[in-house]
Amino acid sequence: MTEQRADAYKGYREPLVSLMARFGITVWCKVDVDTTRGEFSGLVLPRSETADAHHLVLKLDSGYNVGLRHDTIRAMTKTGFREAIYKVPEEAFPRDDRLPEVILLGTGGTIASRLDYRTGAVIPAFSPGELYGSVPELADLCNLQTEKLFGEFSENVGPLHYRALAERIGQAIEQGFAGVVIGHGTDTMHHTAAALSFMVQRPPIPIVMVGSQRSSDRPSSDAARNLIHATFAAAHGDIAEVMVCMFGPTSDRYNLLHRGTRVRKMHSSYRSTFRTLGDIPLAMVEDGAIQSLQTCASRRDDRTVQIRPEFEERVTILYYYPNMNPDILEAVVDRGYRGVVIAGTGLGHVNRKVYPALERARSAGVQVYMTLQTLWGFVQMNVYETGREILGLGVIPLANMLPEVAYIKLGWALGQHPNDPAAVAALMQTPLAGEITEREPHDGYLVFQGRTPEIDEFLGRIWS
Amino acid sequence: MVDRLSARASELPNTDLNPRDDPPLDFPDREFGSLTASDYAELGFQCGLEVHQQLHTARKLFCRCPAGRFVTRTDATVLRHMRPTLSELGEYDGCALMEFKTRKEIVYLLEHGTVCTYELDDTPPFPIDEVAVRHALRISRMFDLQLVSELQVMRKQYLDGSIPTGFQRTALIGIGGTIPFHDSELGDDQVLRIRQLTLEEDSCREVSDIGHRITFRTDRLGMPLVETVTEPDLRTPHDVAAGGRLIAAVARASGHARRGSGSGRQDVNVSIAGSRRVELKGVGRHAVLPRLVHNEAFRHLNLLRIRAALRERGITADLLDGCLHADLGGLLAGCGFAPIERAARDGSVLRAVRLPGFGTLLGHRTQPGRTFAHEFAERVRVIACLTTRPFLLAEDDDGGALAAARWREVRMAVRADAEDAVLLVWGPREDIDTASHEIVLRAKAALVGVPSETRQAHPDGTTGFERILPGPQRMYPDTDTPPLPIPDAWVAEVESRTVELPWQRRARYIAKGLPAPAARRMAHSTWAELYDELAIEDPPTARRIAFALEARLPHFWRSSGVRTLPAAERLRPLVRALVEGRMHPSGTNWVLDRLLREPDTAASDIVDAHRLDDRPADPLPASPTTDANARLRWAMGRTLRGRTRGSFDPQQIRTDLSHSLGEVRE
Repeated sequence: MTEQRADAYKGYREPLVSLMARFGITVWCKVDVDTTRGEFSGLVLPRSETADAHHLVLKLDSGYNVGLRHDTIRAMTKTGFREAIYKVPEEAFPRDDRLPEVILLGTGGTIASRLDYRTGAVIPAFSPGELYGSVPELADLCNLQTEKLFGEFSENVGPLHYRALAERIGQAIEQGFAGVVIGHGTDTMHHTAAALSFMVQRPPIPIVMVGSQRSSDRPSSDAARNLIHATFAAAHGDIAEVMVCMFGPTSDRYNLLHRGTRVRKMHSSYRSTFRTLGDIPLAMVEDGAIQSLQTCASRRDDRTVQIRPEFEERVTILYYYPNMNPDILEAVVDRGYRGVVIAGTGLGHVNRKVYPALERARSAGVQVYMTLQTLWGFVQMNVYETGREILGLGVIPLANMLPEVAYIKLGWALGQHPNDPAAVAALMQTPLAGEITEREPHDGYLVFQGRTPEIDEFLGRIWS
Repeated sequence: MVDRLSARASELPNTDLNPRDDPPLDFPDREFGSLTASDYAELGFQCGLEVHQQLHTARKLFCRCPAGRFVTRTDATVLRHMRPTLSELGEYDGCALMEFKTRKEIVYLLEHGTVCTYELDDTPPFPIDEVAVRHALRISRMFDLQLVSELQVMRKQYLDGSIPTGFQRTALIGIGGTIPFHDSELGDDQVLRIRQLTLEEDSCREVSDIGHRITFRTDRLGMPLVETVTEPDLRTPHDVAAGGRLIAAVARASGHARRGSGSGRQDVNVSIAGSRRVELKGVGRHAVLPRLVHNEAFRHLNLLRIRAALRERGITADLLDGCLHADLGGLLAGCGFAPIERAARDGSVLRAVRLPGFGTLLGHRTQPGRTFAHEFAERVRVIACLTTRPFLLAEDDDGGALAAARWREVRMAVRADAEDAVLLVWGPREDIDTASHEIVLRAKAALVGVPSETRQAHPDGTTGFERILPGPQRMYPDTDTPPLPIPDAWVAEVESRTVELPWQRRARYIAKGLPAPAARRMAHSTWAELYDELAIEDPPTARRIAFALEARLPHFWRSSGVRTLPAAERLRPLVRALVEGRMHPSGTNWVLDRLLREPDTAASDIVDAHRLDDRPADPLPASPTTDANARLRWAMGRTLRGRTRGSFDPQQIRTDLSHSLGEVRE
């Protein structure tokens, strides 16, 4: 199919392409269609490639779209042509010399998005003009510069992107920006946040990651509020750390700033999906004010920062399950992996069957670390005999480091010291950016249960 | 932001224009009930309906919450805001922009058992409820609609907060149908064209709307409903109500529509020659429709008269851009008008807006008891969220609130001359710019004549501004829901099951002996199934029972507050007694009443108590009066003392007594 042809029949396949060609119809034609189920008039829209090949999509004058099956179509008559141009209104972002300079780095995700007919889904759209067109409130907060580093859904972001981001952040700090905002898909935002926490060491300015749980083509989207709050934290906040800025409750109330190494996406679709685990969040952002909740690294005037982006990709997580066989771990060793993070049960356990494989990993020089699938709490391998046995096999406990954070940190640590296992082990057990804390506060574990009177009362108050 | 976006607001569709552009400006304002069908034809009056009916399904349309449970309990609340977004064709909807200006905080009340994270927009939709789709297909075929072969779920934007997502998920099921419209004032052979039927999720119930905060309950949210849209074929107010009843009856005949209060609502689209479509929203009862659309038609006519006056005076939109406004500060201190003095104390801003060339027009009557100034007040109230009434005053229509000297000072402040009108508006500082901006926008809309609006129906038959009328630009494909093909097998199944349609039912009742109007009312009634179940063969009894049900059931529902139908078995003894002549027909209503009101008394006992009793009347003593009529009344009272309705023939007794009193009176 030639380029032009593909465009004329955008998304349509046989048998519809032939049928459309027979009647001289392309996408964006206004048509009268005679079908066995009646007469329909409207505008021919592109077809999503993931939908079936049998239906013609028509937008009627009422604004409704309908699908007409090819074998019900008797005849089509072209009555006009109107191509839709879907474009967020664009306008130059205004400058105000009194406001701080902020750079927004785009990586993809739904923070700004538009309809993609090819897949029928929403795709990222991003430029300062477009952003100003849809969230003009940003102009009251800062002078914004934007830069699209890549356009990836969050599941496709990996070490290459971590490196590019870290290096660009380093430049932005040198360039004198007051803060960095990073737009990111939410699924793996906490992985990227952890990676940047290790790669960008002692930043002097806020580095705020932000996304949205509802795409910005919806009136109820959280995108605008998230972006406004994140930009405020970057421009005016005092916390010079890598953070995630997302909804606190599901209501449009306040956002939370989470430490990049303690945050995790905890719900597939809730707005308030990002939670700080095993600790309390750093701060709340609401209506142009940041309320600090705990001690953080403060903003500095200097421009010194260390960017250490090296990353060893041959690292994995093994999520332990009862009756796990040793061959899984053996396969990992055989494939040349350099490090393994186990998400163990309880206080950090695996079954006896796996012991020989642990032994083999040790002798092959593969580093093995223990974290918890309970997510909350500390690895404590001295409590039970099993734990002590596993320790004896060279598995290193990682206190209350989250499994995903441990995975990222291990890749990064191996990248720093490719030939020095002892240095890697030492680095892994030394807290660098809050990934291990000394103590767990009493309110660091809050998984409340619905329908209990105190929670009913609490929700009634907190969300309104 | 809104102004910038407005540049990309969409054009209004021409389909909203009344086909005639010659407003009958000389047609006199007339009260409801005094116009004939040809008068309405002269006005160019036309209406279309959008009838919403909830479907009977176990679950909501896009999630697994139970449908049809209504609660008062609140377990938690959620707060949200809405922002306008682009349509599929890259434009903004004017209505969405307007809603954004209101800066509303939207509060949702949640109850554990009736709502889940889907309705709250915290979970994507689950697959569409197939039962609802089949119900909608069936009803579509009853309207003779042409069915689509693939459902495409769309998002219809609603930024008023009535749906937490900011849009309603809706799918077109069929288009282009026709039904016979026997109940038309224009003749017995009319048809009503049905434009389309859509399957959509219901919205929230509004609890309150105060200032910048609107509160909704979420139990109804997400219930499946069908919206049936007619072409503007309804040409008299009577026909609007009749059309609404007909469509409701068709949906009910399918057996898939929910019943009871709140399960059916309609929007009416009204225009006259020279105006464009205005939508009156959410009318629950058919009976109020005629007066409402009549008043709306004359509102259009009066706005068109105002337009004509403005045109004659050479007023243009450019001129209105120069509307001068001024904050009056202490100018009206001690003016004697309490609301303004109170506002001044509260720190409100008092602002005068000059409308060039609008002199004397603000007092022009638009609706019963309403003037043109009211149009400005309504719009300011809704968009700037001013809540403490009054908040606006027009010189032409101030009811003597301010002295003429005070008005002169106000006029000077905004340099108004004799041809200009001046509006005073006051409210919180943060809302006053929006308020004066809206006043100018409404003034500009007067040059167009009748602005495209969605209006709220008031109980007194007038309407008030609710929002700008949304256009097709508010439609956007739902990227969360894949298209759903409608297999031929589903269509075949729908077609194979025949249902008696209201006009078929009406014909059957006529054949049974009911007069045509009564047959139509019965066919549309909610007790038609009960009536059918009684299967009355005897035509006089069939008529008698039909009339009794119509006369007594609604009355019983109103007085008892309970909307239930009796079982057919309970009515059978009454039917048998009538057919067998054991009871006089004149007692039917009384017996039916007792059957409804005395559920603990056996039906046969009640009927027996009204059994025909032919015992001769006792001889009468001497009459206490000489007046012939009074004497007959006295005699009737004596004779019937202690006898139950149905146990005698009142006409016969009257005739007998008249004879025995020696005076036959006609």
